[in-house]
Amino acid sequence: MARAPAPALPPPPAASGLAWLRRRLFATWFDAIVTVLAGAALVWLLAALIDWAFLDAVWSAEMRERCRETAGACWAVIEARGRLILFGLYPHEAHWRSTLACLIVVATMVLSCLPAFWGMARLAGLWLAGFGGFVLMMHGGLFGLPVVTTEQWGGLSLTVFIFAAVVVLGMPMAVVLALARRARLPVVAGLAALIIDTVRGLPLLTILFAAAVVAPLALPDWAQGDKLGRVIVAFAVFYAAYQAEIIRAGLQSIPPGQEEAALALGMPWRSVVFDILLPQAFRNTLPATINQVVITFKETSIVTIIGFFEVTASASAAIGRGEWGAYYVEVYVFVALIYFVFVFGLSRYGAWLERRMRLIRG
Amino acid sequence: MAEPAIRMRGVVKRFGGFTALDGIDLDVARGERLVLCGPSGSGKSTLIRCINRLDVHDEGMIVVEGVELGDEDAAIRAVRREVGMVFQSFNLFPHLTVLENCALPRMRARGTPRAEAEALAREQLSRLRVADQAAKYPDALSGGQKQRVAIARALCIEPRIMLFDEPTSALDPEMVGEVLEAMVMLAEGGMTMICVTHEMGFARRVADRVVFMEGGRIIEQAPPERFFSAPAAAQTRRFLGQVLGR
Repeated sequence: MARAPAPALPPPPAASGLAWLRRRLFATWFDAIVTVLAGAALVWLLAALIDWAFLDAVWSAEMRERCRETAGACWAVIEARGRLILFGLYPHEAHWRSTLACLIVVATMVLSCLPAFWGMARLAGLWLAGFGGFVLMMHGGLFGLPVVTTEQWGGLSLTVFIFAAVVVLGMPMAVVLALARRARLPVVAGLAALIIDTVRGLPLLTILFAAAVVAPLALPDWAQGDKLGRVIVAFAVFYAAYQAEIIRAGLQSIPPGQEEAALALGMPWRSVVFDILLPQAFRNTLPATINQVVITFKETSIVTIIGFFEVTASASAAIGRGEWGAYYVEVYVFVALIYFVFVFGLSRYGAWLERRMRLIRG
Repeated sequence: MAEPAIRMRGVVKRFGGFTALDGIDLDVARGERLVLCGPSGSGKSTLIRCINRLDVHDEGMIVVEGVELGDEDAAIRAVRREVGMVFQSFNLFPHLTVLENCALPRMRARGTPRAEAEALAREQLSRLRVADQAAKYPDALSGGQKQRVAIARALCIEPRIMLFDEPTSALDPEMVGEVLEAMVMLAEGGMTMICVTHEMGFARRVADRVVFMEGGRIIEQAPPERFFSAPAAAQTRRFLGQVLGR
């Protein structure tokens, strides 16, 4: 028996703003009470924050007497101590060099994030130039720039430099470790696994301390290098151990047919790895990689304990000097903002990359 | 008699305790079109994967275009340049465009400059009537288009032998025709071909010889007319009954 289909129902009315509010926030009496209470708390908190950070705040160091009277933030401390926070122990008259060095590294980072620079040779050239420029500016000794030894380096430029150097050195190490761990020769695979597991088994603090303090006792003079150099290499090995596992996971996620097809086409091993497998491995593990890079950026503050005045340590030093000691909250908020700018930039970049890849994936 | 394109003698391949190939003797002449058939697990795929050494045989001898396959890397790559392969699951590189999928392997396998490799790639893509897809990524293509791109990619290396490993098995029925048509075109161009396929119509139309395998052995081989009308072995008759529904 044939039946006529039931007449179509009218489409649900488009949700107006008011209807949405009622459904989501005021559906029941209980919902309404929770909404009002939470809303009030939010408004109060926001008002208090605005009062503290802006309305009652003291901005200028000349008016620092007022800091003691007001309930607001004393941003004057940033004006008074900002240079110490940003430059650490770097000589005052050469702060422009540190600024320039910092900008060089940041510019290099930004450039290497652009697809136009993706390629072994281009990236290698870019970073050689970037690090060269940084060291020339920071260390000096050429073109009439007075020498500033690494013991005096500090502040934001040191943080940014350590971070960039660790990732740029660590990434190739991670690729080598990940490939070695998959190698057909059991000795190679076993050795890579041993290195990765050992390094991951040790706290970063211990590794950096060993590189700074113990290594000079063990290594011959010519192999010791600079303390900062040793610390960066040790930090890079630590980063590489984690990143290697991320890359290995990425390699494992590629269907075996990809490698078989590349081999069947007569492509040499190097090309199979660098043109076919690694690009896909990185794509597949992009969120994990960005995560590891962000962690590394924040972990740079650990170098404090072996006597490097990166930005967090400089901040502590800035408030440790009596007269501004009471305003540590303002100083740490300032430092937190600096970290936030970098980390937020990194995660936005990661999100952009993922979007770009989804477009490619059709 | 001229040197055959492929010569296999006493080839044995084991996976753990399982013997996938159990003493294969097979010659394939230049320009010959061979269809390999048999029930699943009979060793057809393993046989052609041994020819370009994706699988490594344990015993016996395989000579491809005069080069014996052994452990030597240079020999293996030389053979792979002469042997193109098309897979059931296409295996296009998802991070490269269709054009790059075809041009990059050519550049890396034969050291061809980019411009020349891309010109070659476009030529093969238009031969397989997918030239208009060159700028797309594989995920944007239909199954039939993907497989035709995969054939074009293999042809870009300019191989003398083509291996097909169930090239139509992963396709929707309406796309089987366009891929078979491409294979017929290749066959008519004189390419040496070994096809593992269940497409008996293709075998009848194109093959010079049909080889039937079961349990890692070659049970029977004959020209298609004889193979389909008067199969000698009981296993062959049983298999044909199943695939042809007789």
